Amino acid sequence: MSTPSAQQEGMQFIIAFVLAIALMAADHYGKILGNVRSALLTTLTPIERAATFPQQVYNLVTTDFTSINALERENQQLKTEILLLKAKQLQLTNLELQVERLERLLGTTGKITNQNVQIATVIVYSKNPLSQFLTLNKGALDQVKKQQTVIDSHGIMGQIIKTTPTTSRVLLITDPDHQIPVRIQRTGQRGILNGTGHDNVQLNFIPVNSEVKVGDIIESSGLGGVFPAGYPVAQIVQIDTLGDNPYFKISATPVAKLNQSHKVLIISQEEQDNWQNDFDFDFDFDLKANPEKNNPIGKGE
Amino acid sequence: MTDKLINVRSNQVRGIILLTYLVALIIDSMVLLNSNLGFIPPITLMIVLYWSSHFLDKTFLVSAFLLGVMVDALYQTTLGAHALLYIIILFIMMRQRLQFRTYPTWQQAFIIGIYLMIYQVLNTVFFSPVLDNGQFVFYWSMPAAAILIWPSISALLNRTALNNS
Repeated sequence: MSTPSAQQEGMQFIIAFVLAIALMAADHYGKILGNVRSALLTTLTPIERAATFPQQVYNLVTTDFTSINALERENQQLKTEILLLKAKQLQLTNLELQVERLERLLGTTGKITNQNVQIATVIVYSKNPLSQFLTLNKGALDQVKKQQTVIDSHGIMGQIIKTTPTTSRVLLITDPDHQIPVRIQRTGQRGILNGTGHDNVQLNFIPVNSEVKVGDIIESSGLGGVFPAGYPVAQIVQIDTLGDNPYFKISATPVAKLNQSHKVLIISQEEQDNWQNDFDFDFDFDLKANPEKNNPIGKGE
Repeated sequence: MTDKLINVRSNQVRGIILLTYLVALIIDSMVLLNSNLGFIPPITLMIVLYWSSHFLDKTFLVSAFLLGVMVDALYQTTLGAHALLYIIILFIMMRQRLQFRTYPTWQQAFIIGIYLMIYQVLNTVFFSPVLDNGQFVFYWSMPAAAILIWPSISALLNRTALNNS
């Protein structure tokens, strides 16, 4: 049996070492490996599905044991919610018309864009010390694209960072590499919301002379064109002052049920395209692989 | 059992080796999906270490590299980062694999524990993982879990390789 000599082993190691470093550099500083990663994810999709199989079986079994009474209660609750939402939608349509009339009177060019949404199911939820992401059951074949915003019924969950033909990955707003431009709903004060890696987020760049209080809702500001404006993102839970620091240290919890939501909405790029046209600005962020390279309104892949 | 495996070439069990990589990737994915399983060591790395220590006709560096890249894709980390960690740990093991394969299983397990502690330290330096209280304990108990798991992996792979060679 011929065995590699120590020299051959050393040479192989050096080659593999250099290749790994080159790969890291290419992934970190360039965008050329985006397709490689997508191809890898596509290859790994069956493995991910196999890994979720025990959980699916467990869910199936536990669902089968759900009592009919509980299902009836849930059905009744959903019907009530639909009624309430329909009523709200009627009001919203009326408001849209009013805003449009007022804008016409003022001669402004702004308009409310009707966003297209796709419903997707969360097939993988991962919260590990290295990254926090979801995998959805909609991919490139369903016209899902990078940087699309994902929301649940409560607020923004994150954005699409990678797609395969049949699935897509969503980087959650709690991921340490994630940043989103926001404003405080009550005052309009703008800031940047960063993920911390735990189940909460941190609001940065709010000056100490700002009016801000615990319980304030933080919503997306729409600046940067990646996230649509006006969606709730988090609620402030703690405000600290750090010595002479000109900014508050503000902790917040996401309003979206990041680890509970099963059905989510993917918001289409339509409005984001409008933003890009309005400002003639290039927002081609490459996410997460090179967070330092991106400006604060992007996010790392 | 190890003595018998000495007479088997890696080419004779190539299919089994690939199958074990696949199963290891599935197990690693399961760990990724459940934050309560953070103490489970990277099974892909342990499998590569096992095959490399028992088949001297190959270095398994290519396997380690490719598996590392796949783990990077799974964990959404920079491509090549886990690959680099895998080949470093594998190279450390390769320097001693002639002695390693002669050790009894319990001794191998402790050495694997040391390798995985090095892996975890490098992992911390590379990725600065965010650990809350519960995860901190899980994270650093991983090498100890590897010590406990190694005898089972070793016995299983040994038997599988011998039965299919």
